[in-house]
Amino acid sequence: MSDLMVIINMLALVYLGWFVERSLQKNKSKMWLFSGLVVVMLVILFTLPNYGPTYSYIMVTTILMYLVLTVSWALFSGPTGYISLAPAAFFGVGIYTSAVLGKDIPLLAVVLLGGILSFVLAMIVGALTLRLKGTYFIMFTFGLVLLITNLLLWYEIKFTGTRGRFVVAAGNDTIYYVMLGIFILLLITAFIIKRSKFGLALQSIGQNEEAAAHMGINVTGVKVIVFAITAFFMGMAGAIMTMKWTYIDPYSAFDLFRSFLPVLMAIFGGMRYFYGPVLGSVIFAYLEEKLLTEFPYVYKLAFGIVLIAVILYLPDGLAGLVDKIRARIARKKNALT
Amino acid sequence: MWKKILAFTIPLTICLILILTSVFAGCGGKADKDKIVVGMSRSLSGPIAIIDDSAFRPVYETWVAEVNAEGGIYVEEYGKKLPIELKIYDDKSDPATMAQLTEKLILEDKVDFIWGGGGTSFIYAQAPIANRYNYVLITMEGGASSLKELLPGMPYVFVTLSFSDWYEMPVLADMLASKGCKSAYIMYIADLHGVEYNGVAGVELGKKGIQILGAKAVPPDIKDLSPVIKEAKASGADAFLCFAYPDQVFPAVGTSIELDYNPKVWLGGPGINFGFFHTAFGPMVEGVMGWASWNRKSSPALNELADKLYTGKPEDSNDWWGHAFYWAGLDMWRAAIETAGSLDNTKIRDILATQHLQTVLGETWFENGLMNRETHPGEVGQWINGIYEVVGPFDKATAEWVYPKPPWPK
Repeated sequence: MSDLMVIINMLALVYLGWFVERSLQKNKSKMWLFSGLVVVMLVILFTLPNYGPTYSYIMVTTILMYLVLTVSWALFSGPTGYISLAPAAFFGVGIYTSAVLGKDIPLLAVVLLGGILSFVLAMIVGALTLRLKGTYFIMFTFGLVLLITNLLLWYEIKFTGTRGRFVVAAGNDTIYYVMLGIFILLLITAFIIKRSKFGLALQSIGQNEEAAAHMGINVTGVKVIVFAITAFFMGMAGAIMTMKWTYIDPYSAFDLFRSFLPVLMAIFGGMRYFYGPVLGSVIFAYLEEKLLTEFPYVYKLAFGIVLIAVILYLPDGLAGLVDKIRARIARKKNALT
Repeated sequence: MWKKILAFTIPLTICLILILTSVFAGCGGKADKDKIVVGMSRSLSGPIAIIDDSAFRPVYETWVAEVNAEGGIYVEEYGKKLPIELKIYDDKSDPATMAQLTEKLILEDKVDFIWGGGGTSFIYAQAPIANRYNYVLITMEGGASSLKELLPGMPYVFVTLSFSDWYEMPVLADMLASKGCKSAYIMYIADLHGVEYNGVAGVELGKKGIQILGAKAVPPDIKDLSPVIKEAKASGADAFLCFAYPDQVFPAVGTSIELDYNPKVWLGGPGINFGFFHTAFGPMVEGVMGWASWNRKSSPALNELADKLYTGKPEDSNDWWGHAFYWAGLDMWRAAIETAGSLDNTKIRDILATQHLQTVLGETWFENGLMNRETHPGEVGQWINGIYEVVGPFDKATAEWVYPKPPWPK
């Protein structure tokens, strides 16, 4: 029962991602139908706590967390080609905002503040590093996570005499709604960015940064602002998710795994498509939980095999596979007529 | 027209069948109870997996096999013995994953009981969840003074293991003071465990007038400990205290041997208490101290427990600190179920919180959620003639404490 609800809501999430992609295309046929379906999907998602078992929306909350991390990551790294390994840093800043201020200020303010602090950190880091390219940028963002973890560890041990902190817990439904809200806000933001001059600028930076600069694009400015916007969403996600975990320390808050997973999920889903990272993270997160719980002793092996198979045989990810199947069906149809 | 209807009807019918099957699959009548399902989120992979392998796992595997061989636990409500079935998930050594899996066990798998995760950070993450859903949580590995402060607000949580101020450090301080030990140097891991033990040592040793000449925090992945050991040696402290895990304690022992650093007291842990410390260091373990709770000589019942757990197995599997506590925790859980005659977590909680029950440690009870210290068969251990003896408190010692520590064998 719980699985069925989770799968229905996963489909709704993927549909929302696909709808954004479709809206960005010039083909506007049947848009009234697709828009109507968006309303249906939103109703399904927003009413899940009313009809689904508690664990179904706990599970969908985790999927939403991965979605926010992956879509945010792909929004910047996809078009520009700058591989950022900083998601764990921005997510962790959100976590610590919640841990430090959660007792004193209202939940939504904490979440917003988590996003703002991550935004500020990304602005500073971006201004310093987004002139770097390729491996140097990857290494810097990787180092940033380690730097913050160890700085925080040093601070906690030296000044607070402890390592971890308790976080004020929130109800599962509250966390779910806030996380869903963040995801929808992210989709709207992604749509606006992609439709605006920023989207085109990002794409031209990814294709040829020098040429983009010659065309008059403030390349560093565009990169820094989009990088910071994506960090804002990651920070908010960290701030709300930690209210589910109740106890955190620098190692668990700045877990490097959360920097690598968005990259894997985006590749798994297909980087060429906007809905690819959505599809990738939804399936990846679900698969991970299923393998982890059903096959605890072999799940990493199974997971590794699935990943290798996707990278080897589906270079455009799952979204690319969907496209290929659609093209094949269309070819068959044309051949028959 | 028919083609169009068929094109829509067939997929719709299939979807409807799938949905209805899934819905009704979960709506069967209440089955007759034939087993007690216990859920656990344990670290089967990741850095904490070594703790799972050597600490609680050998105990629950042996204990459950023994109980099931007798037919299970008698539950009056069902008028029969129910065997135990374990449902174990891997939390990948990640407290966040463990929190989610614990909720899955409770909400989706609807297990009858949950048993604790592996480590203090995991208890912090799991305890509020167990308490929220009114599930009894008897914790195994881990314990902390900061957790002790939270227990009054979490009536469903019961801690079995001894820890820093419950009651290891006060006993160690008494022991050191009794021999005229004047100073100590502390190396501790920069995590919850290390920070807490260092803090409690500062308080308890301070009460006895023992001076802390240095306290150095080390990261978990430290490779070269020679600067710390050299500093400890230069300090001239009577006691060297290493509050860390096997990954740091063992290199600290190795480096001390290399640099011939032989203070009057060399105490470390967790790690020293495991059989694999002896198999790794052989005769070099003589005189090295650590945390402990029991030994074959502690009581006939504990001698029998050692037979059950260790006979026919390599020495590596021995744990002379936690194993007796974990076994006693499970004994208490069983006794509480039998007394309640029910699998109702609230009834079982009430019994655990108020009654004295018979376990491998004798009469055992929880005091404000902590296993009463009077039931502890020991706190401090030392390797003497290749055996890990209980040496403190003195009235529970299974051998006389060797002070000062003999030189490292050449």
